[in-house]
Amino acid sequence: MTAPDPDRLNDLGKRLDELQTRQAASVKRAPPSQSGIAFRFTTELVAALVVGGGLGWGIDWLFGHFGFHTRPVFLVLFFVVGIAAGIRNVMRAATEINAEIAKVRSSDADAGEEK
Amino acid sequence: MALNPMHQFSIKPLVTEPLFAISGHPIYFTNQALLMVIVVLATSLFLVLAVKPNRLVPTRGQSMAEMSYEFVANMIHSATGEDGLKFFPFVFTLFMFVLCCNFFGMVPGSFTVTSQIAVTLALACLVMLVVILTGFAKHGIRFFMLFVPKAPIYILPLLIVIEVISFCSRPISLSVRLFANMLAGHTLLAVFAGFVVSLGAAGGVLSVLSIAPMALIVGIMLLELLVAFLQAYVFAILTCIYLNEALHLHDHH
Repeated sequence: MTAPDPDRLNDLGKRLDELQTRQAASVKRAPPSQSGIAFRFTTELVAALVVGGGLGWGIDWLFGHFGFHTRPVFLVLFFVVGIAAGIRNVMRAATEINAEIAKVRSSDADAGEEK
Repeated sequence: MALNPMHQFSIKPLVTEPLFAISGHPIYFTNQALLMVIVVLATSLFLVLAVKPNRLVPTRGQSMAEMSYEFVANMIHSATGEDGLKFFPFVFTLFMFVLCCNFFGMVPGSFTVTSQIAVTLALACLVMLVVILTGFAKHGIRFFMLFVPKAPIYILPLLIVIEVISFCSRPISLSVRLFANMLAGHTLLAVFAGFVVSLGAAGGVLSVLSIAPMALIVGIMLLELLVAFLQAYVFAILTCIYLNEALHLHDHH
């Protein structure tokens, strides 16, 4: 058995590296589905509403406990703030999803160029 | 009774004697607890046995274990960067637990642990606890800067309240998404299964027609497998995103 040719080994190593980087680039991550996005937005919005309303209700209850009858002032106030927080959530989720879609698109474009 | 599509989600104690009691409330060993024990044992056993041969050319099992490792490691790396990788054990455990609970729930006759809001909310609260502790450990009191966006000073009080509510809504949206997806999918399956039974019992031509919902169930089952994976993925990636915010505050903006 003769010693392996170093040039051939180096060449093989180079080709393997190339193949691996190409395969890593072409591992496709599917963009989130339409219904997935819709469901994400809904839960983000509703969750903030629930937390906002709950917080307002809790503050009212606490004040009522100490003899200040503020109900439903804080409930209404925090419900409105909850809506704002929900919209903030949805906007943040939209940025994340946009970034993810852009990532998938760019990796698709890379894979397309190599072909 | 058997045709009630919500019947599959009822929690029943398997042993009539309660395990122990917390301030008078008896705690039973339920079908849900059994499934969780099975999931944890099966996952741990699979991962330990799969990487045992430790071959250069992996066996099928080893390849699956390595794939799940690389999948989660890549996810953490792309979402949080290098220093997020120390949370790998946490995120990997979460991902595998949710994934396997979802998959074990797909076995007919078993129980879907993740269709219980108590379970998903507990998991989400655990995530938030880790996020908060990480934030305080890394930044100390500066962690509160997470709630202070860049804005003119006169509008800040309102914005801080909004950001706090937005932060507090995360465990809810995280848990409700997983719970609602699993609940909806399994209810749909049970409803169509009910159609098969009632059409089959109707007799005559209608019995033959029961093939149609049966075929639909097969399709929905495939869709549910996809949803089971996707929801575990979403749960894990959102955990990474929240961890990233706690680690880097507003640096990435």
